[in-house]
Amino acid sequence: MSIHPGTAAKGKAPESQTSANAPKVRRRSPTRVNPALYLFPLPAVAVVAFFLVMPTLQAFQYAITDWNGFSAAFNYVGLDNFIRAFTKDSLFTNALTNNLKFVLLVVIAQTAFSLVLALLLTRNSRGSILLRALFFFPTILSSVSVAFIWKFIYDPNFGLANSVLRTVGVDGGAYLGNDAQALYWVAVTQVWFHSGQMMVVYIAGLQAIPRELYEAAEMDGANKWQQFKSITWPFVAPATSIVVAYTTVQSFKAFDLILGIAGNPPKAALDILSTRIYSTFANSEFGYAAAQSIIFMAMIALVTWLQRRLLRLTPKGE
Amino acid sequence: MSQISRRQAVALLGAMGFGAAAAACAGPGGSTKPGGATGPAAPSTGAVTGRVSFAHWRGEDKAVFDELIKRFAAQHNGVEVAQDISTSNDYNAQALQKLRGGSIGDAFATFRGAQFKNFTEAGIYTELKDSKAVGNYQKGLLSAGRNGDSQLGLPYQVVFPMPMANVDLFDKAGAEIAPKNWDAFLGMCEKLASAGVIPISWPGGDVGNGGQLFNCMIANNAPVDDMCAQIEQGKLKCTDDWFIKMLNQYKDLKPFVQPNATGTAVEPAQNLFSQGKAAMLATGSYHIAAVRGLGAKFPIDLVFPNTTSDGNGKYEGAYNATFILGVNSASKNQAAAAAWIDFLSEPENAGYYANQTAQHVSVDKVEYTNPDLKRLSPWLQKKTALAARFQFQNLDVRNAVEASATAVISGTSPEQAAAAAQKIVDERL
Amino acid sequence: MLASLSRRAILAIYAVIIIVPLTVVAFGSFKSTQELFAGPFSLPHSLSADNFAEVVGGQNLGSSFMNSAIVTGISVPLTLFLASLAGYAVSRLKGFMAWAIFGFLVLGMAIPAQANMVPLYVLFGRLGLLDNLAGLVVANVVSTLPIAVFILGGFMRTLPKELYEASSIDGSGPWKTYFSIALPLSAPSIAAAAIFLFVIHWNELLYPLLFIQSPGNRTLPLALLSFQGEFQTNYPLLFAGVILASLPVVIAYVFLQRYFVAGITAGASKG
Repeated sequence: MSIHPGTAAKGKAPESQTSANAPKVRRRSPTRVNPALYLFPLPAVAVVAFFLVMPTLQAFQYAITDWNGFSAAFNYVGLDNFIRAFTKDSLFTNALTNNLKFVLLVVIAQTAFSLVLALLLTRNSRGSILLRALFFFPTILSSVSVAFIWKFIYDPNFGLANSVLRTVGVDGGAYLGNDAQALYWVAVTQVWFHSGQMMVVYIAGLQAIPRELYEAAEMDGANKWQQFKSITWPFVAPATSIVVAYTTVQSFKAFDLILGIAGNPPKAALDILSTRIYSTFANSEFGYAAAQSIIFMAMIALVTWLQRRLLRLTPKGE
Repeated sequence: MSQISRRQAVALLGAMGFGAAAAACAGPGGSTKPGGATGPAAPSTGAVTGRVSFAHWRGEDKAVFDELIKRFAAQHNGVEVAQDISTSNDYNAQALQKLRGGSIGDAFATFRGAQFKNFTEAGIYTELKDSKAVGNYQKGLLSAGRNGDSQLGLPYQVVFPMPMANVDLFDKAGAEIAPKNWDAFLGMCEKLASAGVIPISWPGGDVGNGGQLFNCMIANNAPVDDMCAQIEQGKLKCTDDWFIKMLNQYKDLKPFVQPNATGTAVEPAQNLFSQGKAAMLATGSYHIAAVRGLGAKFPIDLVFPNTTSDGNGKYEGAYNATFILGVNSASKNQAAAAAWIDFLSEPENAGYYANQTAQHVSVDKVEYTNPDLKRLSPWLQKKTALAARFQFQNLDVRNAVEASATAVISGTSPEQAAAAAQKIVDERL
Repeated sequence: MLASLSRRAILAIYAVIIIVPLTVVAFGSFKSTQELFAGPFSLPHSLSADNFAEVVGGQNLGSSFMNSAIVTGISVPLTLFLASLAGYAVSRLKGFMAWAIFGFLVLGMAIPAQANMVPLYVLFGRLGLLDNLAGLVVANVVSTLPIAVFILGGFMRTLPKELYEASSIDGSGPWKTYFSIALPLSAPSIAAAAIFLFVIHWNELLYPLLFIQSPGNRTLPLALLSFQGEFQTNYPLLFAGVILASLPVVIAYVFLQRYFVAGITAGASKG
């Protein structure tokens, strides 16, 4: 099947070569591309196309039906599922609001924390390296593990948080049992979980800043804040946009953490889009679940796009 | 350039053809089990041998079942029973998909209510009304497994989703363990509170267990027995007077549950009870073994929160017949699976299960040697309501309705909580 | 002065926030429930391995561990192999095709797993990939191929073209160049990607939750999640499970820490 370009050289002909005693080497000019190279990405492309892209496109097809996942019969219902999700399903809109609240909180807190930690640990001293390793550690745990740890911490009767607070005479409340606060406590867990990861990204950015700039600024009499504004921040801005984007997508998903900490299915106060989609799927409403998942994708895209606009508007720029 | 465009064209054609094939591959539409159309048939007969997969959710009973399996295998040559256990939440959510293929769950158990109905509609059950087993059960306790004229499943366990009571603490406080009406119940709580214990330990942070109290609270308040089914169908509403009255009674309980009850998980709630810090544990008799395992040595009885004002309620308690045994119509080894069910249904084996796991069974003529079971066996004769929360088919609806009670304990007004729950129900009608 | 003091204070507080929960978990795994509830901070009375025994024997964590090991042991190398092939091709091809292939593969990063999980479930069902480890391997490879291509492709692009030209003058075909030049030179990037993928695949929960039905086929995170049944929240048992499940990743972290970090920076940076 491979379509070979003719061996008639399209590139530069070799210069001093007599046809008689030139070695019969299949000379490929540096600008010619070996067509066999096209076979290299083929397995990856096939796998991604068949198992990733196609099902995603398929989701669009499911979304306009009312299929329940096992019968042979189903109907095409047009945009009904989408309309239902936004107008007739307060569990869905609740999950949507929760998700947005959660993402906003986590992005702000995690970006701030990781930046602060990175600023404090930029130098490569022994202590800094040790602390960096420690702060990064939670990221490698599975989210179910983190969920269990924090479930215990938040237990109002025997858990860590209230045990500690009780020694100073304070009752921290029900934490996850308090519907008005529950989501915020899970946000705290998420920030604990991943701040170390983002800290590393910031450190990479910060370590690229040449020391001389700071020294020069010192000599000019700039104070720490001015140094931060004019030297650090411009270098850190690209890292920030990465951290914000990555954290957004990561916290949008947060599926594993919520299931581990709130159970399956989670109560309304802790329900987010990914868990709502899963509940709908487990309830045998495949068509509706697919519609919800498309809305989910659109939400992520929208929020990510909005962020990039917002961050570009800040004067520091890239 | 022309080569590249030729390549592109080939790629494009490939993609289109591929896309068409793919659409055929994963488009919606499946195959319903043919069994569903013609009605359940009796399990096929044959030699009792080979591998039987027994699917259920009670990990805590695994060791006891293992022993019973040994005895079963001794009776039949070459038979092997393997337990396939998931947690109850997982089982509730996923068992249908898992069993449909027939590779696990030759014999299986289901929850009452929604799961039983789903399985029935999907044609998973076989007809057991002519089986050897069915005659061993107490007639009145078979309804949970019945569909029309067919006996599709055999409800094995009888549990009482009523608060357990620490009899010693009650005696010490001079509190009445069988209050005749709601005021008496509240009076009993006050006596316990003044004796320095938490009257009720309630695991509000756990939906499955925290909701058991609901069965008791709604039993005498509702105008009909299938009130939950009717709520789900829209014939009754959460905003009706009787429901709001029940929510107000939940509000009455607020001072008597432990602090931060809505965040309390099961183990901590059990611990409060087993350590003698709380006089009652508002879950059910299925927790007796767990509580004993945590070190509780005191005698345990059950208390019914009598919600009536005059003591003339229809019911004096609540029970649930669950762990409905069935034989999978998609199984390749139905004869052996049916034999396993028959074996479990014999009084001697059912008795072993009951006494070892501290649960009552619906099998007749069982001798209870476990002291806790013995003490509670009078409840088997009382007029108890079949636990209503299992009438809900839609999990979202059930969670919303039960959440109204939790919200009231958190401090929301009953009217508001009822309206919020009814909104979710309305959306799903 | 103040700055250095507050710096120390902030770092100390955060260090405590990280260490304390982890220590409580470690201690707790050796306690019984009553002991844990009596005092979460105390040292355990005895280093009793009861919980660990129960978790491995009674709850079959051992077989879940094996399943996780098998799945991860296959999906990580497989992903790396396919991604390196694609990355190599993309670094050598020119113009539109290179951009198109790279873009197509990397675009997958933008698609969240929940977006295609329903059709994927149906597809797997029809292909017989439900409820077995092969299906999990496929799911892992597919979901991480985009980012693996991003990391490896990004790195390979930075390799100087002269290296390739030298070898093609020698007459070697692309295969040989790939094996003898591109791969060895990409070793740091491959190592970083390998660790990155290892953590993701080992901790994967959604796909096993979706696809695995028999308890015998569960991987660790799913087995761990299944611990919290409706009727038990046995914290010490959960903690023992958490420790066992995290052991491989933690050990890898202790010895290969810099690769973890490299993977994050490679994956997050714009290449």
